[in-house]
Amino acid sequence: MAFTLLVNGVQYGVDAEPETPLLWVLRDSIGLTGTKYGCGIGQCGACTVLIDGLAVRSCFLQASRAIGKKITTIEGLSTDGSHPVQLAWKEFDVPQCGYCQSGQILAAVALLEKQPKPTDADIDAQMTNACRCGTYHRIRQAIHRAAALRA
Amino acid sequence: MVPEINAWITIAPDDTVTIRVGQTELGTGTLTVNPMMVAEELQCDWKKVRAEYASANRDVKEKAPEWTLKIPGSGETDPGGAAPVELRGMDGVYRRMIIHSSGNVRESRYYLQQAGAEARERLLLAAATEWGVPVSELVAKDSIITHAKTKRRTTYGAIAAKAARTPLPDPSKIKIKTPDKYTLLGTEQKHFDVPLKVTGEAIYGIDVRLPGMLYAAARACPVWGGDVKSYNFEAIRNMPGVHSVVRLPFNALTKSANFLCGGAAVIADSWWRAKTALDAMPIEWDYGPAAAVTSASLYEDHVAAAKLPGEPKTNEGNVDEAMGRAAKVVEAVYSVPFSPRARMEPGNATVLVTDNRVDIWSGDQDPQGLLRRAAKLTGIAPENVYIHTTFQGGGYGSNGNGPQGEQAVVVANALRGRPVKTLWTREEDWGTGTRYRPMSICFFKAGLDAGGWPIAMEVRHATTWNLGDMGYRGLSAPPYFVPNYRLTLHSPKTHVPIGTRRGTGAAPNAFYMESFIDELAHVTGKDPYFYRRELLARNPAEPKQGIGGFAHRDDFLKALDMVAKMSGWGTPLPEGWARGIAIDDRRRPTRTTSTICAQVHTVEVTRRGQLKLHRVDVAFEQGFALMNPLSVRKQIEGQIAWGYDDTMYQATTLQDGRAVERNFDKFPVSRMNEYPKQINIAFLKTNRWITGAGEEAIPQIPPAILNAVFKITGKRFRSIPLKNHDLSWG
Repeated sequence: MAFTLLVNGVQYGVDAEPETPLLWVLRDSIGLTGTKYGCGIGQCGACTVLIDGLAVRSCFLQASRAIGKKITTIEGLSTDGSHPVQLAWKEFDVPQCGYCQSGQILAAVALLEKQPKPTDADIDAQMTNACRCGTYHRIRQAIHRAAALRA
Repeated sequence: MVPEINAWITIAPDDTVTIRVGQTELGTGTLTVNPMMVAEELQCDWKKVRAEYASANRDVKEKAPEWTLKIPGSGETDPGGAAPVELRGMDGVYRRMIIHSSGNVRESRYYLQQAGAEARERLLLAAATEWGVPVSELVAKDSIITHAKTKRRTTYGAIAAKAARTPLPDPSKIKIKTPDKYTLLGTEQKHFDVPLKVTGEAIYGIDVRLPGMLYAAARACPVWGGDVKSYNFEAIRNMPGVHSVVRLPFNALTKSANFLCGGAAVIADSWWRAKTALDAMPIEWDYGPAAAVTSASLYEDHVAAAKLPGEPKTNEGNVDEAMGRAAKVVEAVYSVPFSPRARMEPGNATVLVTDNRVDIWSGDQDPQGLLRRAAKLTGIAPENVYIHTTFQGGGYGSNGNGPQGEQAVVVANALRGRPVKTLWTREEDWGTGTRYRPMSICFFKAGLDAGGWPIAMEVRHATTWNLGDMGYRGLSAPPYFVPNYRLTLHSPKTHVPIGTRRGTGAAPNAFYMESFIDELAHVTGKDPYFYRRELLARNPAEPKQGIGGFAHRDDFLKALDMVAKMSGWGTPLPEGWARGIAIDDRRRPTRTTSTICAQVHTVEVTRRGQLKLHRVDVAFEQGFALMNPLSVRKQIEGQIAWGYDDTMYQATTLQDGRAVERNFDKFPVSRMNEYPKQINIAFLKTNRWITGAGEEAIPQIPPAILNAVFKITGKRFRSIPLKNHDLSWG
């Protein structure tokens, strides 16, 4: 039942049932725990990762569906927190409890790939992850800042 | 070994100052503000400060230094003194490690400042001894000690080892700074945990990984008070990775929420395998005596209880006589449903029990409590229990206390020698792992004079919230002048586990009072801001003089005026828009501490009933000082979303004795698109210490929004959430 996944540019051999959700393969098999479990039903977005550049909820995706694709987790954005979205997040001191922020950041990265200069309406439409601490005010400002940093 | 100056502070030769923090960081800023309080007095270079968690195990073994135990001052109005403290029995070295009740700064401010001052004095004394000069001639600033006369200079790092061996002759003489002397406190400082939380490096309880670790998935009886009758482990024994099953005992120790129900945990070599096997394991439940209870049946129980005489809390003047001569009588019934705190990180803890030691890795709001309970559950001495505190994915009213850790200890105790991570599913967390803000119903009856001012008010509150003052905080002594006032409490029985929740009793109680006062203003054709203002102004400012007379009256008026001005109160808005106002201070009836917060919410409701919150203006009391105003701003911004969710969506309903809403699909959390585009926060300086900032902007939100909704739609909604109501109009 072993298979391999390409995560953050590294091939990992995985010994798990192929129908295991990608989230749990990332966290427990590979040991990349920055991706979080929140609901298990694809609702909250804490488990968001990028698959071939698109934001995907990994708790709801069988790991076998990601074979051969390019998976990016929060650990793969940069080695030192220097990705423009991470820089903007620090500048605006966005996280509170921080549990959802890996997912928020990856959702923002995917948004900026598609719309390098997003409007507030774009942000409203694309940022669909839940934050129970309610950090949306700073997330919005940080996305605008990240867009400027990328330009 | 890096020299330890005292239990809170180590200083390395390169001047790195490490400050130990007793409280778990759950998003409110403790890991930053507690070091700020120490560093203010230490007078070290803030750029060289690091934070780490203090050890609850050391707290068990070591008594608090004598100089931290006497907290002088006359409480909230003394800038150099302390607010009333909740440190009962907390005489371990780190004093209050629990974090709740917005109490971190309030309760630990004094001894943390003392810790910084004690260390500073030792560093100075060590340098003075080395140089043979009077300590009074030395100056300490930014981790550098200088002696002007002899032009000598040293650094904290260079003198730290000597300071660690230099006790103060009389540490009881330590004085802390008053707020006017602060240089670091009161400035906006970014949070130490943020860089870790944008890279995925921050370790939460759920992220802990140990060699040889097993994983447990747990299920408790979904009906509180129920137990497991039987389960068939043989049916799943051969599933991939399955290791064993552990019976979860009914009410094992502390009556903490999860232990009200018995259950079972399946252990496997990965959590997904454990959960998959648990889902497949046949379990037969004994649902216990409450299996037929529904929200509707509980509502009826509350209504029935409210008809009984109840427990009088306030009875001032002669309500019945005054009601009899009122020109107009207004009655209304308000209610809120059950609701959990609903944090993001599902409950978990990783535990290793051996025959002589327990190690627990968890984000827990009460490390001292968890330590004691783990000792009881395992029979191992508290001195041999170690808590390794991690970050915690939200708390919102003690969601991180007790049950998760206790259950994990029970599981690991059955598998001694192997570390086990017990993790709840979201459904388990919201269904049996948490406690709830209870349903309550508030019956109002007001008698108004010919001018429209209340001369009598009768309040009957049916609630199971019998923790402390939850049932009457804010209701027993309203800020408004009502010369004849009666409050009675009526307590029906419920099997649902009741706990604290962000906003405490002030949240439902302010929803009731701030809505009903608004109703009275509209009934008499008065502007709700001016109506509140007049009723506040009529109240005597001296405490104990009539109902609600209280020393904070003038600051209430200031906050109300401030927020009205900020929001453009009274200026025109487009059709379908309106402003709603509310004020509360989360003041406890038994003491004076409070944090005044007034809010105006600018709301739009379309004719079809679609609500949009456009703008929120907040006047928030800062008292003598806010320690880290950035933390407070972030707390207020977040509370706006939190209170909005309560207003719009959140409720736990009961069917067959159990919680229906157990995941985000039925218990929504608002997203970016609903967050108001404009937030204005202003701080109001007053001459006292405030209670805190972790929940003080919650209670105003439902009434402010619903007051605006009434203005637009003409519909007075007296229960939340609004998702249950038709907001269409015109």
